[in-house]
Amino acid sequence: MERNNQKNGLVNLTAAILVFIAAFAVTVFSNSAAGQAASVFLGIGVLVAFASWFQMRLEENERLEKLEVEDMARAKGESALFESKESELFAARRSREQFEKFFIPGFAVLLFLLEAGGAALLWRWIDRIPHAIAPDRAMSSLSLFAIFALILFVLGRFSVTIARLGDHRLLRPGSSFLLAGAYVCFLAALGIAGVKADFIHADVWAARIFCGLLGVMAVEILLTLLLEIYRPRVKGRVARPLYDSRVIGILAQPESLFTTAAQTLDYQFGFKVSETWFFQVLKQNLPLLLLAQFAVLVLSTSFVFVDPGEQAVLERFGRPLATLDSGAHLKLPWPLDKVYRYRTDQIQTFVVGYVPDAQSENANVILWSTAHAKEENFLVGNRAVTTVQGDAGTTLKAPPVSLITISIPVQFQITDVRAWAYQNTDPAGLLQNLATRAVVQFLAGQDLGDVLSHARLVAAQQLQSRIQAAADDRRLGVKILFVGLQDIHPPVSVAADYERVVGAEQQMIAKTNNAVADAIRTNTLSGALAFSATNIAEAFRIQRQTAAAARVALFTNQIPAFEAAPSVYQSRMRIAAIVEATKNSRKYILLTTNTQDVIWLNLEDTIASQMLNATVPSE
Amino acid sequence: MKRNLITLVISAVLVVIFALLLFVFQVRQSEVAVVTTFGKPVATYTNAGAYFKLPWPVQKVYKFDQRVQNFEDKFSENYTADSVTLLSSVYIGWKISDGRRFLLTIRNGSIADAQLKLEGMLRSAKNAVIGKHQLADFVNSDAQQLKFEAIEKEIEQTVQDELSTNNIGVRVEFLGFKKIGLPDNVTQTVFDRMKSERQKFISQYDSEGNAEAQKIRSAAEREAAETLARADAQAQNIRAAGEAEAAKTFTVFQQNPELANFLLRIDALQKSFSQKSTVILDERMPPFDLFTQLPGATKQSGAANPAK
Repeated sequence: MERNNQKNGLVNLTAAILVFIAAFAVTVFSNSAAGQAASVFLGIGVLVAFASWFQMRLEENERLEKLEVEDMARAKGESALFESKESELFAARRSREQFEKFFIPGFAVLLFLLEAGGAALLWRWIDRIPHAIAPDRAMSSLSLFAIFALILFVLGRFSVTIARLGDHRLLRPGSSFLLAGAYVCFLAALGIAGVKADFIHADVWAARIFCGLLGVMAVEILLTLLLEIYRPRVKGRVARPLYDSRVIGILAQPESLFTTAAQTLDYQFGFKVSETWFFQVLKQNLPLLLLAQFAVLVLSTSFVFVDPGEQAVLERFGRPLATLDSGAHLKLPWPLDKVYRYRTDQIQTFVVGYVPDAQSENANVILWSTAHAKEENFLVGNRAVTTVQGDAGTTLKAPPVSLITISIPVQFQITDVRAWAYQNTDPAGLLQNLATRAVVQFLAGQDLGDVLSHARLVAAQQLQSRIQAAADDRRLGVKILFVGLQDIHPPVSVAADYERVVGAEQQMIAKTNNAVADAIRTNTLSGALAFSATNIAEAFRIQRQTAAAARVALFTNQIPAFEAAPSVYQSRMRIAAIVEATKNSRKYILLTTNTQDVIWLNLEDTIASQMLNATVPSE
Repeated sequence: MKRNLITLVISAVLVVIFALLLFVFQVRQSEVAVVTTFGKPVATYTNAGAYFKLPWPVQKVYKFDQRVQNFEDKFSENYTADSVTLLSSVYIGWKISDGRRFLLTIRNGSIADAQLKLEGMLRSAKNAVIGKHQLADFVNSDAQQLKFEAIEKEIEQTVQDELSTNNIGVRVEFLGFKKIGLPDNVTQTVFDRMKSERQKFISQYDSEGNAEAQKIRSAAEREAAETLARADAQAQNIRAAGEAEAAKTFTVFQQNPELANFLLRIDALQKSFSQKSTVILDERMPPFDLFTQLPGATKQSGAANPAK
């Protein structure tokens, strides 16, 4: 009987290998995403089938070894037998124990890595790779996967039945994988059929389901590995192989859900949990419980809770029935009544002219000459028509337009939720288009200089009214709350020149101010000089007048004295004048013997230098 | 018995659900539904509600969103009538006006396919209309000269005419320019021109600053010279007035001209000596004649030779 199990295991392994290779080839042939994922699943099945077959072989060897030892014991007697070392006598048993102790946990870890890695990689890979099953290959691929499903189902069902009836625990993992592989191939065939029937995403959906299944298997094997550490070891109790997936068991035999659950609990807790009253009640009333759960699920769709700041449109059979405000509401269960929610009270914002980025949003200083977001250039009118010299000396004609960069945040609120919901498929996108168009049109009709100066004052109001009018015209059901001219400036590559103009203007003012300062200094100084000159003249005049008056007064007083003693007065005055006049002068008095005045001057070099300045008296 | 009743209830619920799914379909307010029987369109439903249908594969329901669809074309280059390359992108609002025609003419009733067809028509219309207009019709510092809306209407009408001719069950609701711009190399020339305009202003401000400063300084210097000249004249007048006032006193001196002249000479004598002058005097000159009257004084011993 054991030998038959081993043969069954080998057949399962062979079938798993062949179907895996064939499925992979068909997948490459058809470019099916579901086929790819199914191939991964079948590949893991091959590994499990191999492990279970190998373990069966080891157990079979152990069984034969045991029989052989027993035969030898009977032939030679017990004393001789116990003389040999146990390791020499039970080599196969030790091999089996070593296998269970080291290989199986390692194999379980490998399976976990393959399943988790396979699920994650496949999920990402499905997103990246465009899957387009060739129409002419779809039918043949579909047929082949259906044949694989049939083969695996027949073999798997047979093996599963044998494993269950004979309680062959090692035959079960491979058999379950074969049967689950049959369903996987069937689902892959359905995915391809879906694509053939114009459900173009059916293949990808099937692949996603397989990814999910691999993920669940990975979680299961990880939990099994963790629980294995704490499992009570009951002597004589045969351990369930770690690679024997319960998920696959349920998938292969859904009817065995309770059996599997019971086995799991019994196995984990070490006593018959499945025989407790709770478990029995649960098993007997499961349909009722499921029905109750279904009823609760349906009932839960009869309540609507609309969040603050939201409104919801209630539809019955697709007809708008009511608009629900914030709070709790009752409705008929899904799919009779459906609710669609919208943020109505909340102020929503979008921007025209630039795409904000986190780095620029965090900047403390915003300069024209530094790009502070992904800015767009808008055309704006220019009154001057100019030509520009190109690099190679060629004259390039520059259109009579200029470019400008703007940042305009627009805030709005939904005022009519039904208009917002039922008029346009993408009302938010349309509103943004309308706002952008209003900005483009406004700028196209302005002069650059005006926009940068006085026109910007009225621009925000004009834009707000234009956007509101456009939104009303399109029956969007919104109120434009705010249009802000956050930023209007020349493009980054020109901004520095604009700043230099400001600098030049400031320099011009500085030059003028310096000149004015110089003028003030000059004028003030000249005023002071003029004042000084007139004052000096005035002083002169006063001095002259005063001196003349004083002289007159003196003269008037001197006349009597002079007339009284003319010679004495004159002599006194003369001598006093000479004394006064020469009091600081060096005086030389010449005494002469003759009557004639002879002045002898020695003009040799020894003469004192001051003598050269001598004044000869007239008398 | 109880188990059978539960099984019956569950089965009945499931049957009802499956029956509803198979025989009933809903049309939303925003949708139009076309029902086909063995592939042939037999009915169109534009009003919201629940409707009966035969199960697949006998009847199949195609639902389309009949709200206004909104898409924008690529930012593409066109030539204006005055030979300027202009980049433009327009958004277009369209809706399914005839669900049956839409299903028949657009593969699988795909919105994406319909937009592809519309984009082709739009591009062609845009080329034709923009080529008829000058750049100044799109961008003009005089807003009255702009033909923005007229151009949009022309493009919309051209696309609408094309749609009517092809009758694909689609109607254009609105169209507008989303963006207009210039190719990169033209943009660069505009930037260069904008820079040259700024340079012009820089030079202007520089020159104006220098000129204004020069004017202010010149005016100040002129004003200063004028002030000083006026002050000089005023000073001269004042001096002259002083002299005149002083001259008035001369009549007093006429009372005793001899004394007046004598005093004048005395005054002149006093003023004619500077601080470090050297005076050589005759001993006969008073008061130095006192030297000659000293007892025992001889002319030889009392004489001094200034050169020694």
